[in-house]
Amino acid sequence: MNLILAILFFIIPPEDKIKINDPWVRPSSEGMATALYFTIENTGEEADTLYKVESDISKRIEIHETYKAGDIMGMRKVGMIVIQPISSFQLKPGSHHIMVMKLIRDIPIGDEVEFILYFKRAGEINITAEVKKTAR
Amino acid sequence: MKNIFRILLIFFLISLFNSCYDELPLNKDLTKRSYIFLNQDSLAVSFPEIIKDKITVIGFIYTHCPDICPMTTHNMVLTEERLIEEGIDDVLFVALSFDPERDSPEVLRKFAEIRDIKFDNWIFLTGDKITTEDLLRRFDVKAIPTDSTFFKDETISYSIMHTDRISLINNKGILKQNYKGSTINIEELINDIKYLREDK
Repeated sequence: MNLILAILFFIIPPEDKIKINDPWVRPSSEGMATALYFTIENTGEEADTLYKVESDISKRIEIHETYKAGDIMGMRKVGMIVIQPISSFQLKPGSHHIMVMKLIRDIPIGDEVEFILYFKRAGEINITAEVKKTAR
Repeated sequence: MKNIFRILLIFFLISLFNSCYDELPLNKDLTKRSYIFLNQDSLAVSFPEIIKDKITVIGFIYTHCPDICPMTTHNMVLTEERLIEEGIDDVLFVALSFDPERDSPEVLRKFAEIRDIKFDNWIFLTGDKITTEDLLRRFDVKAIPTDSTFFKDETISYSIMHTDRISLINNKGILKQNYKGSTINIEELINDIKYLREDK
């Protein structure tokens, strides 16, 4: 019986509870930084946590948020992003974003960059982000 | 009673006149001092001489900024595109770096080129620290280095807390309006530019 269940598991994998929508990244140059944006949709009934992002494009990638202090804007590292059950979380310009530092090559408009997102429950999710100049 | 009515009428007319006249409330003369910067071609240029007789949109940026400054720059690009669609191609766009230590002319040129920015109506400026800070004070723009990241190759990267700013200068070198650079209402900026063009 267990063998049958295991075979079924591989033939019909469980539905993904975490979906990544509309990933995009800003154009930037070798040695410079850029930001990755996307929306995380959690269709499951348990919260999940994004805690790490990796890519061949950079050896230093962090989860950041932009904040406002009076009329000054700043940026700081955050350890993780928790996505509550049946909800979504948008990483967007002027807010949370993935800070990609010291790019190893230019990423011009129209290019594509691959990233691996690490979630505590959903595990690794591979995404491809288009390089766009969209501001908002 | 008649006198009171007349006085109120005069106050009303004065306030009406002022509200029309003060469409752009700032009036800071930027021509009193000159500042030497390098442009994206490493040529020494003098501010405000380079903006002389031009309506100028100036944005304050640093190129290592991943989020806010690209938004500011892109909003300036969108403004230029909209103006050109309307047949207005005589507005100058200036991007001044408040991170002169890292933003060399070459870095600024690359920052522009990777975003498809043409230099016909654009100038990117970088200068020495003292000159940059002096001009930033004229615009009341603050830029404070903050969190540092140390890399394995022993290099350091830092981010900068800064005022989120685009400013509009008329063709006489007078600062006329400030906007939030990353979230600016482009329609408002374009209307203000048109107002300045009519006010020449």
